[in-house]
Amino acid sequence: MKKRLRDNRPGRASRLAAVGRRFLVLSPLVVLLAACSGEYVGMPRAEVLRYQTYPTYGGLHELATAYGEAINGAVKADTLHPGMYAEYGVTLALMGHKGAACRMLNAEMKAFPESRAMVTRIKQRLMPDLLGDTLAAPRDTANLATLAGWAYDSLKALQPLPYVAPVIDSTDTLWISMQTPADSVRTPIELTANQKRELLAQQQAEESLRKQQVADSIAAAKQAVKDKRKQDKLERERQKKEQEKVRKQQRKEREKQNKERARQRKEEREAQKKNK
Amino acid sequence: MKPMKNRLSIVGLVAVLTLCVSCKSEKRLAQYSAIYTERPQVIYVAPLNDLSLRRALRTVEDSLFNLSLNIASKQLFLTASDPLVYKGYYVPGPLASAQIAATEWRSGKQLRNESVADYHTDLGIDAILFITINGWASTANSWTVEAEYVLRSAQSNNELLHVSVTARKTLATDFKGNPVPLKEDEEFAKRYDCDLETAQRCRLVETLNQYVLKDLPSGQRARQHSTERYIPAHPEYFNLQIHPDGSVELKKTELTD
Repeated sequence: MKKRLRDNRPGRASRLAAVGRRFLVLSPLVVLLAACSGEYVGMPRAEVLRYQTYPTYGGLHELATAYGEAINGAVKADTLHPGMYAEYGVTLALMGHKGAACRMLNAEMKAFPESRAMVTRIKQRLMPDLLGDTLAAPRDTANLATLAGWAYDSLKALQPLPYVAPVIDSTDTLWISMQTPADSVRTPIELTANQKRELLAQQQAEESLRKQQVADSIAAAKQAVKDKRKQDKLERERQKKEQEKVRKQQRKEREKQNKERARQRKEEREAQKKNK
Repeated sequence: MKPMKNRLSIVGLVAVLTLCVSCKSEKRLAQYSAIYTERPQVIYVAPLNDLSLRRALRTVEDSLFNLSLNIASKQLFLTASDPLVYKGYYVPGPLASAQIAATEWRSGKQLRNESVADYHTDLGIDAILFITINGWASTANSWTVEAEYVLRSAQSNNELLHVSVTARKTLATDFKGNPVPLKEDEEFAKRYDCDLETAQRCRLVETLNQYVLKDLPSGQRARQHSTERYIPAHPEYFNLQIHPDGSVELKKTELTD
């Protein structure tokens, strides 16, 4: 009996074959499940909180890189967070990459049509010259994410650029705050020499434009202060003249009243004399 | 003797039934009827109204304490959109919201009290969420925040949600009396590069947001929109208690004179 049972038991080869068959049946299911359960990629909260607490130029770059990476992950996992493209667009616009920002905002409008009015308002505020451009689409989000980081590194290598923000306070004094970009560690990105040259040229052009814009804004702010002072001076002079005029008129009236009173007193005195 | 017994049993039965009815929590359909009627799609989180007091700056601890409260307030604002997005609403992110807020000429108080119809006509926003922090309190091993959530429709100017909540987080203490942080809190502090006290406050407001806003009905595009309407809803006034083991308890606040 025992011998027969042993004979009926499947051999090692057949057991392996059965396991292999099960593996063949189950493996597509496992792959399918793995593909369906794509990891949810949300907003880069830590970077946003850091930037909101310490808003620096370096923080903005860090945020842009984080958003780019988050978008790449979300697109791969098919779990795009509403407003993610818009956030990346606003970050790029604040950095000065208006073309890329416009493309990102267009992508937001396309992915979430309910955001159209809101995104149009943001565009109107940040890039009024690109308001009509609603067709440009993002080229490659992966490159954009790395571009921000690489451009930042290349800029740092050239010279640490100060962030200039002219502010006029209540006493009409022009204040210029300067912040150098914070240092941060970044992984090297492999780019061809041509790509590097193009990016560098583009970055330099954008930087010179930005510098020009900053210089223009400073000049405009200075001019505004001058104009305001001039206007205030004129206003003060006008008020002085008006006050002088009013005072003169009051003096004349007072003199008139005094004369009238003197005349009345004289008449009264004469009348008293006559009565006597 | 027998009718007397009957009468007593009837009175007892009525009392038990009344008790049952009063204990039964309200369903979402009744609690959020306005949301089911208006079906908002786009929700804008207005800038936070922080009424909590800060310390006068005398020592370094004072400035650190104030910074901790500021970071926690920012975290409350930033994480308010997560549960709403999870529920299927479109919520603009913090930077986009800042750009929208920059175009607003009214003060926060005016915005909360006046008509917000222009948000619907100009920006396509269906509802605005106003969050107010009324105060913070803390002891050696517990942190408390009082907050108020108001969701106002930009279409009809009605209040769709009004929740007043007090959330409290307590940690166990070691033999010296120092709080023993949870593993999640330590991870949070490491990831966000902040101290443990700030991490406790931030995690507290995150949980608060989750509990208050995840109770809202799902957006009209979500498939749960119609199926979840008979699930019991949270009360309008409640206390949220986070225990040392990480479990959360929700208690309805009884309003007294």
